[in-house]
Amino acid sequence: MENEYYVCTGCGLLCDDIEVELVDGKVSKVNNACLKGVARLKECERPAECRIDDAPASLEDAIIEAARILKEADSPVIFGMGNSTSQAQKNAIEVAKKTDAYFDDTSSFCQGPVVEAILENKIRTCTLDEVRDKADIIVYWGADPSNSHPRHLSKYTYFPRGKERQRGWEEDRTAICIDVRKSDTATICGDKFYQIPPQADEELLNAIANGLSGKVPKVSFGMGPKKILELANMLKKAEFGVICVGLGLVYSLEEIEPLVRLMDKLNEVSNFHLIPMVGQYNMRGSNHNLYEETGYINRVKFTGNDVEHGAHCSVVELLRTRTVDAALIIGSDPMSSLPGSIAKELLDIPVITIDPCNTLTSRKAKVSIPTATAGSECGGTAVRMDGVEVEFKAMTETDRMCDAEILERIMGEL
Amino acid sequence: MGFGQFLKAPEYDIKIITYRDIFQSTALESSGCGDEYAERSAVILLDKGDLKKMVLKDGRKAVLKNNFGRVVVHLRPSGYEEGHEGIGYMTNSPWSNALVSSETGGSGVPKFKMIIASISDAKDEKVTSFDV
Repeated sequence: MENEYYVCTGCGLLCDDIEVELVDGKVSKVNNACLKGVARLKECERPAECRIDDAPASLEDAIIEAARILKEADSPVIFGMGNSTSQAQKNAIEVAKKTDAYFDDTSSFCQGPVVEAILENKIRTCTLDEVRDKADIIVYWGADPSNSHPRHLSKYTYFPRGKERQRGWEEDRTAICIDVRKSDTATICGDKFYQIPPQADEELLNAIANGLSGKVPKVSFGMGPKKILELANMLKKAEFGVICVGLGLVYSLEEIEPLVRLMDKLNEVSNFHLIPMVGQYNMRGSNHNLYEETGYINRVKFTGNDVEHGAHCSVVELLRTRTVDAALIIGSDPMSSLPGSIAKELLDIPVITIDPCNTLTSRKAKVSIPTATAGSECGGTAVRMDGVEVEFKAMTETDRMCDAEILERIMGEL
Repeated sequence: MGFGQFLKAPEYDIKIITYRDIFQSTALESSGCGDEYAERSAVILLDKGDLKKMVLKDGRKAVLKNNFGRVVVHLRPSGYEEGHEGIGYMTNSPWSNALVSSETGGSGVPKFKMIIASISDAKDEKVTSFDV
């Protein structure tokens, strides 16, 4: 009998070789997935409950109440989407258009600038399959996949045999880590770990670009020109190089331009690509779907047929400046992931959550709507961290509705 | 009751850098409101030299505070071979986020990876709970 494989929705890697065992219709055993993936695919310890004003409610009433809040709000925001199927994201965009809402997702304060540069063809990218088959130089910059995406190195980048890399990590591949701390990934990279002080990333980006241009690279911290030139030469000699960009690098840069300049320089002398280390399983899908609809990846405000865009439309600024008077949060927990001083603004407005699990945000929500867990309980499509669309099917059956269907029902009530 | 309880614990400035930990991320997937997630999140890892200088002890608790928030977390040595004086490591969580500045310069991106706070002995205070 042929094995049946499923997709893990634990992170942006969307591993597609997952095997599961079911007992009484529930996932009891998950094979091939990492720890985080197993936890994601098994039912959460505290599933969300359908509630209005902290009292149990029917799904029907919760949907009607959610629609009422959105209809009556002058400036609602729809936020989250990183853990939603692509169809749910498209439905959420329709709800935003119908209610003249702000629309933003988690990329707004993480990998957004990198994905935007890729979609606008400012940065050359490639697929993870190409990395597996061809890459000889893999750079992890401000990223620690051993903890954030545990199968990244083993499935795609450093350890596997690829079509043109049959001798794998032992002879065919070099992994380099640039980070502010000696992470588990840095340990794997051994003497190819380059430790830099916090906020020194831009300086090193510029120094490497200088080294590639034949200039003497200099930085203000304890990394001599010889060491930087050694790094620049390794990158220059790559037959197929990839930089996997983590939040450590993204958060350190005021603007994306120094990274774009280094990529341009690398592609003058070598063959380099960039992949963002996207955390949530379909954050990139939200970027793609909104980009297709509006030409922007995040941070928009719909008003009739007009679309406004800018940092002032980001969820952080909207909450900080108390611009919004209601929030629909889909598959996200901003009470946990935003700065506390900004997240607390959610306590002063009616919040609707759509989530499979009980979260700090759903506990404070005026309306909490439980949904099926995408990947284990409902199927759909998502966009992997490298931009490849991945289709996935449900592993089990459930009574709970999928996020796409709940949003469709809310749309119906509007 | 000892005389020490009436003395203000000395405070030191520290930079906090957040990082990812697979076990903490796994606990978050299981339950962001669960005990294991709190246990793995409400922790700061300090340089051994700093622990000694600040007269703080492994296994005790510390108060971290700045203009944006105040949390009580567990205190542990980082175990890194290389020293990292003046820098503490915390996993990304509501405990570290409580200390992230709300000032963004209008960019919409908070400084998650660079938190400046003061640290002091928490004495008998309980670890901050967000599960309310």
